[in-house]
Amino acid sequence: MRRLYSSLVDGRGFDLCLIGVPLVFLLLLSGVPLAYNVVMSFQAVDMFSLGSFVRPWVGFDNYRQLIAQPEFWPIMGHTATFLIASIAGQFLIGFALALFFWVNFPGASWLRGLFLVSWVMPGLVVGAVWNWLLSGDFGVFNFVLHQLHIISGNVFWRSDPAFALWSVVIANIWLGTSFNMIMLSVGLSSIPADLYEAAELDGAGALFRFWTITLPMMRSTIGALISLGLIFTLQQFDLFAAITAGGPNNASNVAQYWAWDLSFKQYDFAKGAAISVIMIAVVMVASVYYVRSTRHEVRG
Amino acid sequence: MSETNRNRLLLAVALLLAAIYLFPLYWMYITALKTGSEMFRTPPSFWPDDPQWSIFPFVFQLKGMGLFLWNSTVIASGSVALIAVLGTGAAYVLARYRNVWVDVGLFLVLMLQVLPASLMITPIFVLFTLTGILDYPRMAVILAIAAKSMPFFIVLVRATFMSVPMELEEAALVDGNSRVGAFWSIVLPLARNGILVAAILIFMQAFGEFVYSKSLIQEIELQPSSVGLNAFMGPNTNEWNRIMAFASIYVTPILATFVLLQRRIVSGLTSGALK
Repeated sequence: MRRLYSSLVDGRGFDLCLIGVPLVFLLLLSGVPLAYNVVMSFQAVDMFSLGSFVRPWVGFDNYRQLIAQPEFWPIMGHTATFLIASIAGQFLIGFALALFFWVNFPGASWLRGLFLVSWVMPGLVVGAVWNWLLSGDFGVFNFVLHQLHIISGNVFWRSDPAFALWSVVIANIWLGTSFNMIMLSVGLSSIPADLYEAAELDGAGALFRFWTITLPMMRSTIGALISLGLIFTLQQFDLFAAITAGGPNNASNVAQYWAWDLSFKQYDFAKGAAISVIMIAVVMVASVYYVRSTRHEVRG
Repeated sequence: MSETNRNRLLLAVALLLAAIYLFPLYWMYITALKTGSEMFRTPPSFWPDDPQWSIFPFVFQLKGMGLFLWNSTVIASGSVALIAVLGTGAAYVLARYRNVWVDVGLFLVLMLQVLPASLMITPIFVLFTLTGILDYPRMAVILAIAAKSMPFFIVLVRATFMSVPMELEEAALVDGNSRVGAFWSIVLPLARNGILVAAILIFMQAFGEFVYSKSLIQEIELQPSSVGLNAFMGPNTNEWNRIMAFASIYVTPILATFVLLQRRIVSGLTSGALK
Protein backbone atom coordinates (compact mmCIF):
# COMPACT_ATOMS: atom_id res chain seq x y z
CA MET A 1 0.00 0.00 0.00
CA ARG A 2 2.77 2.36 0.97
CA ARG A 3 4.71 1.37 -2.06
CA LEU A 4 1.73 2.09 -4.30
CA TYR A 5 1.31 5.48 -2.64
CA SER A 6 4.95 6.43 -3.04
CA SER A 7 4.91 5.28 -6.65
CA LEU A 8 1.90 7.53 -7.27
CA VAL A 9 3.59 10.51 -5.65
CA ASP A 10 7.14 10.01 -6.74
CA GLY A 11 7.55 7.38 -9.44
CA ARG A 12 6.25 5.68 -12.51
CA GLY A 13 2.76 5.52 -11.04
CA PHE A 14 2.51 9.30 -11.26
CA ASP A 15 3.04 9.29 -15.03
CA LEU A 16 0.83 6.26 -15.57
CA CYS A 17 -1.96 7.87 -13.60
CA LEU A 18 -1.68 11.19 -15.46
CA ILE A 19 -1.85 9.53 -18.87
CA GLY A 20 -4.04 6.57 -17.91
CA VAL A 21 -7.12 8.42 -16.71
CA PRO A 22 -7.50 10.58 -19.86
CA LEU A 23 -6.83 7.59 -22.08
CA VAL A 24 -9.55 5.54 -20.39
CA PHE A 25 -11.89 8.52 -20.66
CA LEU A 26 -11.18 8.94 -24.38
CA LEU A 27 -11.48 5.23 -24.95
CA LEU A 28 -14.90 5.12 -23.25
CA LEU A 29 -16.30 8.23 -24.95
CA SER A 30 -14.65 8.07 -28.38
CA GLY A 31 -13.33 4.54 -28.87
CA VAL A 32 -16.41 2.68 -27.69
CA PRO A 33 -18.85 4.80 -29.76
CA LEU A 34 -16.57 4.34 -32.75
CA ALA A 35 -16.70 0.55 -32.42
CA TYR A 36 -20.38 0.53 -31.53
CA ASN A 37 -21.10 2.57 -34.64
CA VAL A 38 -19.71 -0.23 -36.79
CA VAL A 39 -21.78 -2.81 -34.90
CA MET A 40 -24.92 -0.73 -35.28
CA SER A 41 -24.43 -0.34 -39.02
CA PHE A 42 -24.91 -4.13 -39.35
CA GLN A 43 -28.08 -4.21 -37.24
CA ALA A 44 -31.71 -3.36 -37.80
CA VAL A 45 -32.33 -0.39 -35.50
CA ASP A 46 -35.74 1.19 -35.02
CA MET A 47 -37.38 3.28 -32.34
CA PHE A 48 -38.32 0.17 -30.32
CA SER A 49 -34.96 -1.56 -30.37
CA LEU A 50 -33.12 1.71 -29.66
CA GLY A 51 -33.11 0.96 -25.94
CA SER A 52 -31.75 -2.59 -26.04
CA PHE A 53 -28.36 -4.00 -26.93
CA VAL A 54 -29.76 -7.08 -28.68
CA ARG A 55 -31.00 -6.32 -32.17
CA PRO A 56 -31.46 -8.43 -35.29
CA TRP A 57 -28.32 -8.77 -37.40
CA VAL A 58 -28.83 -7.81 -41.04
CA GLY A 59 -25.33 -7.98 -42.50
CA PHE A 60 -24.65 -5.47 -45.24
CA ASP A 61 -28.35 -4.68 -45.84
CA ASN A 62 -28.04 -1.14 -44.45
CA TYR A 63 -25.15 -0.35 -46.76
CA ARG A 64 -26.89 -1.91 -49.75
CA GLN A 65 -30.09 0.05 -49.16
CA LEU A 66 -28.11 3.22 -48.56
CA ILE A 67 -26.26 2.98 -51.88
CA ALA A 68 -29.48 2.03 -53.67
CA GLN A 69 -31.14 5.26 -52.52
CA PRO A 70 -31.37 7.70 -55.44
CA GLU A 71 -29.85 10.54 -53.41
CA PHE A 72 -26.72 8.57 -52.42
CA TRP A 73 -24.46 9.40 -55.38
CA PRO A 74 -25.62 13.03 -55.73
CA ILE A 75 -24.88 13.59 -52.03
CA MET A 76 -21.44 12.01 -52.38
CA GLY A 77 -20.82 14.28 -55.36
CA HIS A 78 -21.90 17.34 -53.34
CA THR A 79 -19.55 16.28 -50.56
CA ALA A 80 -16.64 16.12 -53.00
CA THR A 81 -17.55 19.49 -54.56
CA PHE A 82 -17.92 21.04 -51.12
CA LEU A 83 -14.55 19.67 -50.01
CA ILE A 84 -12.59 20.68 -53.09
CA ALA A 85 -14.15 24.12 -53.51
CA SER A 86 -13.89 24.99 -49.82
CA ILE A 87 -10.30 23.85 -49.45
CA ALA A 88 -9.18 25.50 -52.70
CA GLY A 89 -10.91 28.78 -51.82
CA GLN A 90 -9.68 28.89 -48.24
CA PHE A 91 -6.16 27.98 -49.21
CA LEU A 92 -5.73 30.30 -52.19
CA ILE A 93 -7.25 33.38 -50.53
CA GLY A 94 -5.46 32.54 -47.30
CA PHE A 95 -2.14 32.21 -49.12
CA ALA A 96 -2.61 35.50 -50.96
CA LEU A 97 -3.41 37.29 -47.69
CA ALA A 98 -0.49 35.62 -45.91
CA LEU A 99 1.89 36.75 -48.66
CA PHE A 100 0.60 40.31 -48.40
CA PHE A 101 0.95 40.45 -44.61
CA TRP A 102 4.41 38.89 -44.87
CA VAL A 103 5.68 42.27 -46.07
CA ASN A 104 6.48 43.85 -42.76
CA PHE A 105 4.81 47.11 -41.84
CA PRO A 106 3.70 48.52 -38.47
CA GLY A 107 0.46 46.92 -37.29
CA ALA A 108 0.74 43.97 -39.68
CA SER A 109 0.73 41.21 -37.09
CA TRP A 110 -2.09 42.75 -35.07
CA LEU A 111 -4.32 43.24 -38.11
CA ARG A 112 -3.51 39.76 -39.35
CA GLY A 113 -4.58 38.31 -36.00
CA LEU A 114 -7.85 40.22 -36.19
CA PHE A 115 -8.89 38.17 -39.22
CA LEU A 116 -9.13 35.14 -36.99
CA VAL A 117 -12.44 36.32 -35.51
CA SER A 118 -14.17 34.51 -38.36
CA TRP A 119 -12.70 31.28 -37.04
CA VAL A 120 -13.50 31.72 -33.34
CA MET A 121 -17.13 32.66 -33.90
CA PRO A 122 -19.78 29.97 -33.32
CA GLY A 123 -20.57 28.24 -36.63
CA LEU A 124 -24.27 28.85 -36.13
CA VAL A 125 -23.71 32.61 -35.95
CA VAL A 126 -21.54 32.58 -39.07
CA GLY A 127 -24.31 30.63 -40.77
CA ALA A 128 -27.00 33.04 -39.61
CA VAL A 129 -25.06 36.09 -40.82
CA TRP A 130 -24.33 34.53 -44.22
CA ASN A 131 -27.91 33.34 -44.52
CA TRP A 132 -28.94 36.99 -44.31
CA LEU A 133 -26.10 38.29 -46.52
CA LEU A 134 -27.04 35.78 -49.24
CA SER A 135 -30.77 36.42 -49.03
CA GLY A 136 -32.23 36.54 -52.55
CA ASP A 137 -34.33 39.72 -52.58
CA PHE A 138 -32.72 41.81 -49.86
CA GLY A 139 -29.28 40.30 -49.46
CA VAL A 140 -26.38 42.73 -49.57
CA PHE A 141 -24.21 40.15 -51.38
CA ASN A 142 -26.50 40.27 -54.42
CA PHE A 143 -26.49 44.06 -54.19
CA VAL A 144 -22.69 44.24 -54.27
CA LEU A 145 -22.44 41.77 -57.16
CA HIS A 146 -25.04 43.81 -59.00
CA GLN A 147 -23.14 47.06 -58.45
CA LEU A 148 -19.99 45.38 -59.77
CA HIS A 149 -21.99 44.27 -62.86
CA ILE A 150 -21.24 40.62 -62.20
CA ILE A 151 -24.91 39.64 -62.14
CA SER A 152 -27.93 41.33 -63.70
CA GLY A 153 -30.82 39.75 -61.77
CA ASN A 154 -31.00 38.54 -58.18
CA VAL A 155 -29.48 35.14 -57.47
CA PHE A 156 -31.52 33.09 -55.03
CA TRP A 157 -28.50 31.55 -53.34
CA ARG A 158 -30.26 29.43 -50.77
CA SER A 159 -33.35 28.28 -52.64
CA ASP A 160 -32.02 27.78 -56.19
CA PRO A 161 -30.79 24.16 -56.48
CA ALA A 162 -27.94 25.32 -58.73
CA PHE A 163 -26.56 27.69 -56.07
CA ALA A 164 -27.62 26.23 -52.70
CA LEU A 165 -24.41 24.24 -52.22
CA TRP A 166 -22.34 27.25 -53.27
CA SER A 167 -23.96 29.45 -50.65
CA VAL A 168 -22.56 27.11 -47.99
CA VAL A 169 -19.21 26.95 -49.81
CA ILE A 170 -18.94 30.76 -49.76
CA ALA A 171 -19.71 30.90 -46.04
CA ASN A 172 -17.24 28.11 -45.35
CA ILE A 173 -14.48 29.80 -47.35
CA TRP A 174 -15.02 32.97 -45.32
CA LEU A 175 -14.91 31.00 -42.09
CA GLY A 176 -11.73 29.06 -42.84
CA THR A 177 -9.62 31.55 -44.81
CA SER A 178 -8.27 33.25 -41.72
CA PHE A 179 -7.05 30.00 -40.18
CA ASN A 180 -5.21 29.11 -43.40
CA MET A 181 -3.72 32.58 -43.54
CA ILE A 182 -2.39 32.47 -39.97
CA MET A 183 -0.87 29.01 -40.41
CA LEU A 184 0.72 29.95 -43.73
CA SER A 185 2.10 33.14 -42.17
CA VAL A 186 3.86 31.03 -39.56
CA GLY A 187 5.34 28.86 -42.30
CA LEU A 188 6.46 31.89 -44.30
CA SER A 189 8.17 33.55 -41.35
CA SER A 190 10.23 30.43 -40.71
CA ILE A 191 11.93 30.63 -44.13
CA PRO A 192 15.43 32.04 -43.59
CA ALA A 193 15.73 35.50 -45.16
CA ASP A 194 19.28 34.97 -46.47
CA LEU A 195 17.93 32.46 -49.01
CA TYR A 196 16.09 35.32 -50.68
CA GLU A 197 19.04 37.67 -50.41
CA ALA A 198 21.27 35.12 -52.11
CA ALA A 199 18.72 34.48 -54.86
CA GLU A 200 18.29 38.22 -55.41
CA LEU A 201 22.04 38.66 -55.78
CA ASP A 202 21.97 35.91 -58.38
CA GLY A 203 19.34 37.92 -60.26
CA ALA A 204 16.29 35.74 -59.63
CA GLY A 205 12.97 37.55 -60.19
CA ALA A 206 10.16 37.65 -57.65
CA LEU A 207 8.07 34.97 -59.37
CA PHE A 208 11.09 32.72 -59.79
CA ARG A 209 11.97 33.12 -56.10
CA PHE A 210 8.39 32.20 -55.18
CA TRP A 211 8.54 28.98 -57.23
CA THR A 212 12.03 27.91 -56.24
CA ILE A 213 12.26 29.03 -52.61
CA THR A 214 8.87 29.82 -51.06
CA LEU A 215 6.85 26.87 -52.33
CA PRO A 216 9.46 24.16 -51.70
CA MET A 217 10.22 25.51 -48.22
CA MET A 218 6.52 25.56 -47.39
CA ARG A 219 5.88 22.01 -48.54
CA SER A 220 5.31 20.41 -45.14
CA THR A 221 3.17 23.34 -43.93
CA ILE A 222 1.04 23.17 -47.05
CA GLY A 223 0.67 19.40 -46.80
CA ALA A 224 -0.42 19.58 -43.17
CA LEU A 225 -2.73 22.49 -43.86
CA ILE A 226 -4.50 20.82 -46.79
CA SER A 227 -5.13 17.64 -44.85
CA LEU A 228 -6.23 19.74 -41.88
CA GLY A 229 -8.56 21.59 -44.27
CA LEU A 230 -10.00 18.26 -45.39
CA ILE A 231 -10.59 17.28 -41.78
CA PHE A 232 -12.18 20.63 -40.82
CA THR A 233 -14.34 20.71 -43.94
CA LEU A 234 -15.68 17.23 -43.29
CA GLN A 235 -16.57 18.42 -39.77
CA GLN A 236 -18.55 21.37 -41.09
CA PHE A 237 -22.13 20.89 -40.01
CA ASP A 238 -23.34 24.12 -38.44
CA LEU A 239 -23.31 26.09 -41.69
CA PHE A 240 -25.60 23.53 -43.36
CA ALA A 241 -27.95 23.63 -40.39
CA ALA A 242 -28.03 27.43 -40.44
CA ILE A 243 -28.13 28.18 -44.18
CA THR A 244 -29.85 25.51 -46.27
CA ALA A 245 -30.58 22.49 -44.01
CA GLY A 246 -29.45 20.36 -46.95
CA GLY A 247 -32.22 21.68 -49.19
CA PRO A 248 -33.83 22.38 -51.54
CA ASN A 249 -34.54 18.70 -52.22
CA ASN A 250 -31.05 17.56 -51.14
CA ALA A 251 -29.39 19.98 -53.60
CA SER A 252 -26.95 21.10 -50.90
CA ASN A 253 -26.88 17.95 -48.80
CA VAL A 254 -23.50 16.47 -47.92
CA ALA A 255 -22.57 13.20 -46.22
CA GLN A 256 -21.92 14.60 -42.76
CA TYR A 257 -25.29 16.40 -42.73
CA TRP A 258 -27.10 13.46 -44.27
CA ALA A 259 -25.83 11.12 -41.54
CA TRP A 260 -27.31 13.37 -38.88
CA ASP A 261 -30.51 13.88 -40.86
CA LEU A 262 -31.02 10.12 -41.26
CA SER A 263 -30.55 9.50 -37.54
CA PHE A 264 -32.28 12.46 -35.96
CA LYS A 265 -34.89 13.56 -38.51
CA GLN A 266 -35.86 10.23 -40.05
CA TYR A 267 -34.95 8.13 -36.97
CA ASP A 268 -33.13 5.64 -39.21
CA PHE A 269 -30.19 5.13 -36.87
CA ALA A 270 -28.85 2.10 -38.72
CA LYS A 271 -28.44 3.98 -41.99
CA GLY A 272 -27.07 6.98 -40.12
CA ALA A 273 -24.48 4.67 -38.60
CA ALA A 274 -23.67 3.13 -41.98
CA ILE A 275 -22.95 6.48 -43.66
CA SER A 276 -20.94 7.52 -40.58
CA VAL A 277 -18.78 4.42 -40.89
CA ILE A 278 -18.06 5.21 -44.55
CA MET A 279 -17.19 8.85 -43.86
CA ILE A 280 -15.10 8.12 -40.75
CA ALA A 281 -13.03 5.76 -42.91
CA VAL A 282 -12.39 8.67 -45.31
CA VAL A 283 -11.44 11.00 -42.43
CA MET A 284 -9.09 8.38 -40.99
CA VAL A 285 -7.19 8.11 -44.28
CA ALA A 286 -6.85 11.90 -44.45
CA SER A 287 -5.66 12.11 -40.87
CA VAL A 288 -3.01 9.46 -41.37
CA TYR A 289 -1.57 11.75 -44.02
CA TYR A 290 -1.87 14.74 -41.67
CA VAL A 291 -0.13 12.91 -38.86
CA ARG A 292 2.60 11.74 -41.21
CA SER A 293 3.26 15.16 -42.67
CA THR A 294 3.58 16.68 -39.19
CA ARG A 295 5.47 13.71 -37.80
CA HIS A 296 8.96 15.16 -37.76
CA GLU A 297 7.55 18.21 -36.01
CA VAL A 298 5.65 16.04 -33.53
CA ARG A 299 8.90 14.47 -32.44
CA GLY A 300 10.10 17.99 -31.66
CA MET B 1 9.08 56.12 -52.13
CA SER B 2 10.26 56.68 -48.58
CA GLU B 3 9.98 54.07 -45.86
CA THR B 4 7.17 55.85 -43.99
CA ASN B 5 5.13 56.41 -47.13
CA ARG B 6 5.51 52.81 -48.13
CA ASN B 7 4.36 51.73 -44.64
CA ARG B 8 1.37 54.08 -44.76
CA LEU B 9 0.29 52.72 -48.12
CA LEU B 10 0.63 49.11 -46.98
CA LEU B 11 -1.27 49.86 -43.80
CA ALA B 12 -4.07 51.48 -45.82
CA VAL B 13 -4.34 48.42 -48.08
CA ALA B 14 -4.28 46.13 -45.04
CA LEU B 15 -7.06 48.12 -43.38
CA LEU B 16 -9.10 47.93 -46.56
CA LEU B 17 -8.62 44.15 -46.77
CA ALA B 18 -9.60 43.77 -43.11
CA ALA B 19 -12.67 45.94 -43.67
CA ILE B 20 -13.80 43.79 -46.60
CA TYR B 21 -13.13 40.58 -44.73
CA LEU B 22 -14.90 41.68 -41.57
CA PHE B 23 -17.85 43.23 -43.41
CA PRO B 24 -20.22 40.33 -42.49
CA LEU B 25 -19.67 41.16 -38.82
CA TYR B 26 -20.38 44.85 -39.42
CA TRP B 27 -23.53 43.90 -41.32
CA MET B 28 -24.72 41.77 -38.39
CA TYR B 29 -24.51 44.70 -35.95
CA ILE B 30 -25.92 47.23 -38.43
CA THR B 31 -28.88 45.02 -39.37
CA ALA B 32 -29.73 44.54 -35.70
CA LEU B 33 -29.99 48.33 -35.31
CA LYS B 34 -32.28 48.86 -38.31
CA THR B 35 -36.05 49.15 -38.22
CA GLY B 36 -38.20 46.50 -39.87
CA SER B 37 -38.75 48.58 -43.02
CA GLU B 38 -35.22 49.96 -43.35
CA MET B 39 -33.82 46.46 -43.28
CA PHE B 40 -35.61 45.53 -46.55
CA ARG B 41 -34.83 48.75 -48.40
CA THR B 42 -33.18 48.68 -51.84
CA PRO B 43 -30.54 49.92 -52.23
CA PRO B 44 -29.59 48.85 -48.68
CA SER B 45 -28.47 51.55 -46.28
CA PHE B 46 -25.00 51.11 -44.87
CA TRP B 47 -25.72 53.15 -41.76
CA PRO B 48 -29.01 52.98 -39.84
CA ASP B 49 -31.17 56.14 -40.07
CA ASP B 50 -32.56 55.67 -36.62
CA PRO B 51 -30.55 53.13 -34.57
CA GLN B 52 -32.88 50.93 -32.57
CA TRP B 53 -30.75 50.33 -29.48
CA SER B 54 -33.77 49.02 -27.60
CA ILE B 55 -33.82 45.91 -29.79
CA PHE B 56 -31.09 44.29 -27.68
CA PRO B 57 -32.99 44.27 -24.35
CA PHE B 58 -36.18 43.51 -26.30
CA VAL B 59 -34.82 40.35 -27.99
CA PHE B 60 -33.04 39.34 -24.79
CA GLN B 61 -36.41 39.38 -22.99
CA LEU B 62 -38.46 37.97 -25.87
CA LYS B 63 -36.31 34.90 -26.45
CA GLY B 64 -35.33 34.34 -22.82
CA MET B 65 -31.69 34.68 -23.77
CA GLY B 66 -30.58 34.80 -20.14
CA LEU B 67 -31.35 31.09 -19.82
CA PHE B 68 -29.76 30.22 -23.20
CA LEU B 69 -26.55 32.05 -22.34
CA TRP B 70 -26.50 30.51 -18.88
CA ASN B 71 -26.78 27.02 -20.40
CA SER B 72 -24.02 27.80 -22.90
CA THR B 73 -21.83 28.97 -20.01
CA VAL B 74 -22.58 25.88 -17.94
CA ILE B 75 -21.79 23.57 -20.85
CA ALA B 76 -18.62 25.45 -21.83
CA SER B 77 -17.34 25.73 -18.23
CA GLY B 78 -18.02 22.08 -17.51
CA SER B 79 -16.25 20.97 -20.68
CA VAL B 80 -13.23 23.20 -20.05
CA ALA B 81 -12.93 22.05 -16.44
CA LEU B 82 -13.07 18.37 -17.40
CA ILE B 83 -10.70 18.82 -20.35
CA ALA B 84 -8.18 20.89 -18.36
CA VAL B 85 -8.05 18.48 -15.43
CA LEU B 86 -7.65 15.36 -17.57
CA GLY B 87 -5.82 16.84 -20.57
CA THR B 88 -3.03 18.71 -18.75
CA GLY B 89 -1.65 15.52 -17.23
CA ALA B 90 -1.77 13.66 -20.52
CA ALA B 91 -0.04 16.53 -22.32
CA TYR B 92 2.69 16.61 -19.65
CA VAL B 93 3.47 12.89 -19.95
CA LEU B 94 3.42 13.02 -23.75
CA ALA B 95 5.83 15.96 -23.67
CA ARG B 96 8.21 14.57 -21.06
CA TYR B 97 9.04 11.21 -22.57
CA ARG B 98 10.09 10.02 -25.99
CA ASN B 99 9.54 6.39 -26.79
CA VAL B 100 7.34 4.09 -28.86
CA TRP B 101 4.44 4.26 -26.44
CA VAL B 102 4.40 8.04 -26.49
CA ASP B 103 4.35 7.91 -30.29
CA VAL B 104 1.42 5.50 -30.19
CA GLY B 105 -0.39 7.70 -27.68
CA LEU B 106 0.18 10.81 -29.78
CA PHE B 107 -1.03 9.03 -32.89
CA LEU B 108 -4.22 7.96 -31.12
CA VAL B 109 -4.78 11.48 -29.79
CA LEU B 110 -4.33 13.04 -33.24
CA MET B 111 -6.66 10.48 -34.81
CA LEU B 112 -9.39 11.13 -32.22
CA GLN B 113 -9.11 14.85 -32.87
CA VAL B 114 -10.43 14.50 -36.41
CA LEU B 115 -13.71 12.64 -35.88
CA PRO B 116 -16.60 14.80 -37.09
CA ALA B 117 -19.17 15.44 -34.36
CA SER B 118 -22.11 14.95 -36.72
CA LEU B 119 -20.89 11.44 -37.51
CA MET B 120 -20.08 10.51 -33.91
CA ILE B 121 -23.41 11.72 -32.55
CA THR B 122 -25.37 8.68 -33.80
CA PRO B 123 -23.52 6.07 -31.69
CA ILE B 124 -23.07 8.53 -28.81
CA PHE B 125 -26.82 9.19 -28.70
CA VAL B 126 -27.68 5.48 -28.74
CA LEU B 127 -25.04 4.62 -26.12
CA PHE B 128 -26.11 7.51 -23.87
CA THR B 129 -29.71 6.31 -24.17
CA LEU B 130 -28.72 2.76 -23.24
CA THR B 131 -26.63 3.82 -20.24
CA GLY B 132 -29.09 6.40 -18.95
CA ILE B 133 -26.64 9.32 -19.24
CA LEU B 134 -29.21 11.03 -21.46
CA ASP B 135 -31.35 11.66 -18.36
CA TYR B 136 -28.81 14.38 -17.53
CA PRO B 137 -28.68 16.09 -20.94
CA ARG B 138 -26.27 18.93 -20.15
CA MET B 139 -23.83 16.51 -18.56
CA ALA B 140 -24.17 14.28 -21.62
CA VAL B 141 -23.22 17.23 -23.85
CA ILE B 142 -20.28 18.10 -21.56
CA LEU B 143 -18.97 14.52 -21.77
CA ALA B 144 -19.35 14.45 -25.56
CA ILE B 145 -17.60 17.82 -26.02
CA ALA B 146 -14.83 16.79 -23.64
CA ALA B 147 -14.15 13.65 -25.67
CA LYS B 148 -14.20 15.66 -28.88
CA SER B 149 -12.03 18.61 -27.84
CA MET B 150 -9.58 17.05 -25.40
CA PRO B 151 -7.19 15.85 -28.13
CA PHE B 152 -6.89 19.44 -29.44
CA PHE B 153 -6.18 20.68 -25.92
CA ILE B 154 -3.54 17.97 -25.41
CA VAL B 155 -1.79 18.91 -28.67
CA LEU B 156 -1.70 22.62 -27.74
CA VAL B 157 -0.63 22.15 -24.12
CA ARG B 158 1.96 19.53 -25.04
CA ALA B 159 3.70 22.18 -27.17
CA THR B 160 3.79 24.40 -24.06
CA PHE B 161 5.27 21.69 -21.85
CA MET B 162 7.91 20.99 -24.49
CA SER B 163 9.17 24.54 -24.01
CA VAL B 164 9.56 24.16 -20.24
CA PRO B 165 13.20 23.15 -19.66
CA MET B 166 13.42 19.71 -18.11
CA GLU B 167 16.49 20.84 -16.10
CA LEU B 168 14.27 22.98 -13.87
CA GLU B 169 12.18 19.98 -12.91
CA GLU B 170 15.26 17.85 -12.36
CA ALA B 171 16.74 20.53 -10.10
CA ALA B 172 13.58 20.52 -8.04
CA LEU B 173 13.80 16.74 -7.71
CA VAL B 174 17.43 16.97 -6.58
CA ASP B 175 16.37 19.52 -3.98
CA GLY B 176 14.10 16.90 -2.46
CA ASN B 177 10.77 17.57 -4.10
CA SER B 178 8.56 14.62 -4.96
CA ARG B 179 7.38 14.22 -8.58
CA VAL B 180 3.98 15.58 -7.60
CA GLY B 181 5.60 18.51 -5.81
CA ALA B 182 7.87 19.35 -8.75
CA PHE B 183 4.98 19.11 -11.22
CA TRP B 184 2.69 21.20 -9.08
CA SER B 185 5.07 23.95 -7.99
CA ILE B 186 7.58 24.16 -10.88
CA VAL B 187 6.22 22.79 -14.16
CA LEU B 188 2.57 23.87 -13.92
CA PRO B 189 3.28 27.53 -13.03
CA LEU B 190 5.72 27.77 -15.94
CA ALA B 191 3.18 26.34 -18.37
CA ARG B 192 0.32 28.41 -16.96
CA ASN B 193 0.00 30.81 -19.90
CA GLY B 194 -0.13 28.09 -22.51
CA ILE B 195 -2.71 26.13 -20.56
CA LEU B 196 -4.80 29.26 -20.10
CA VAL B 197 -4.77 30.07 -23.83
CA ALA B 198 -5.72 26.51 -24.75
CA ALA B 199 -8.51 26.59 -22.16
CA ILE B 200 -9.84 29.86 -23.60
CA LEU B 201 -9.86 28.41 -27.12
CA ILE B 202 -11.71 25.32 -25.89
CA PHE B 203 -14.18 27.53 -24.00
CA MET B 204 -14.94 29.53 -27.17
CA GLN B 205 -15.48 26.34 -29.15
CA ALA B 206 -17.72 24.79 -26.51
CA PHE B 207 -19.66 28.07 -26.10
CA GLY B 208 -20.68 27.82 -29.77
CA GLU B 209 -21.13 24.04 -29.94
CA PHE B 210 -24.25 22.96 -31.82
CA VAL B 211 -24.51 19.33 -33.03
CA TYR B 212 -24.31 17.60 -29.65
CA SER B 213 -26.56 20.11 -27.89
CA LYS B 214 -29.15 19.97 -30.66
CA SER B 215 -29.25 16.17 -30.65
CA LEU B 216 -28.93 15.39 -26.94
CA ILE B 217 -31.00 18.15 -25.27
CA GLN B 218 -34.76 18.05 -25.82
CA GLU B 219 -35.90 20.39 -23.02
CA ILE B 220 -35.94 24.02 -24.17
CA GLU B 221 -34.95 25.32 -20.73
CA LEU B 222 -31.69 23.34 -20.86
CA GLN B 223 -30.65 24.30 -24.40
CA PRO B 224 -27.68 26.59 -25.16
CA SER B 225 -27.75 29.73 -27.32
CA SER B 226 -26.68 27.97 -30.52
CA VAL B 227 -29.78 25.77 -30.45
CA GLY B 228 -31.88 28.80 -29.52
CA LEU B 229 -30.55 30.73 -32.51
CA ASN B 230 -31.23 27.78 -34.80
CA ALA B 231 -34.84 27.54 -33.58
CA PHE B 232 -35.25 31.30 -34.06
CA MET B 233 -34.30 31.04 -37.75
CA GLY B 234 -37.33 29.37 -39.29
CA PRO B 235 -37.24 28.49 -42.99
CA ASN B 236 -39.11 31.60 -44.13
CA THR B 237 -38.24 34.10 -41.49
CA ASN B 238 -38.27 37.83 -42.08
CA GLU B 239 -37.26 38.92 -38.57
CA TRP B 240 -33.67 39.42 -39.61
CA ASN B 241 -33.04 42.42 -37.39
CA ARG B 242 -34.10 40.40 -34.34
CA ILE B 243 -32.08 37.36 -35.42
CA MET B 244 -29.02 39.56 -35.92
CA ALA B 245 -29.63 41.11 -32.48
CA PHE B 246 -29.72 37.60 -31.00
CA ALA B 247 -26.50 36.74 -32.86
CA SER B 248 -24.82 39.98 -31.71
CA ILE B 249 -25.65 39.39 -28.06
CA TYR B 250 -24.38 35.83 -28.41
CA VAL B 251 -21.01 36.56 -30.08
CA THR B 252 -20.03 39.90 -28.57
CA PRO B 253 -18.54 38.33 -25.40
CA ILE B 254 -16.53 35.91 -27.58
CA LEU B 255 -15.34 38.67 -29.91
CA ALA B 256 -14.41 40.94 -26.99
CA THR B 257 -12.39 38.17 -25.34
CA PHE B 258 -10.67 37.39 -28.60
CA VAL B 259 -9.72 40.99 -29.39
CA LEU B 260 -8.39 41.55 -25.86
CA LEU B 261 -6.29 38.40 -25.81
CA GLN B 262 -5.62 38.26 -29.54
CA ARG B 263 -1.84 38.13 -29.43
CA ARG B 264 -1.72 35.29 -26.93
CA ILE B 265 -4.47 33.29 -28.60
CA VAL B 266 -2.87 33.54 -32.03
CA SER B 267 0.59 32.59 -30.79
CA GLY B 268 -0.78 29.74 -28.70
CA LEU B 269 -2.73 28.42 -31.66
CA THR B 270 0.16 28.63 -34.10
CA SER B 271 2.60 26.93 -31.74
CA GLY B 272 0.41 23.88 -31.40
CA ALA B 273 -1.89 23.25 -34.32
CA LEU B 274 0.76 22.42 -36.89
CA LYS B 275 3.00 20.55 -34.50
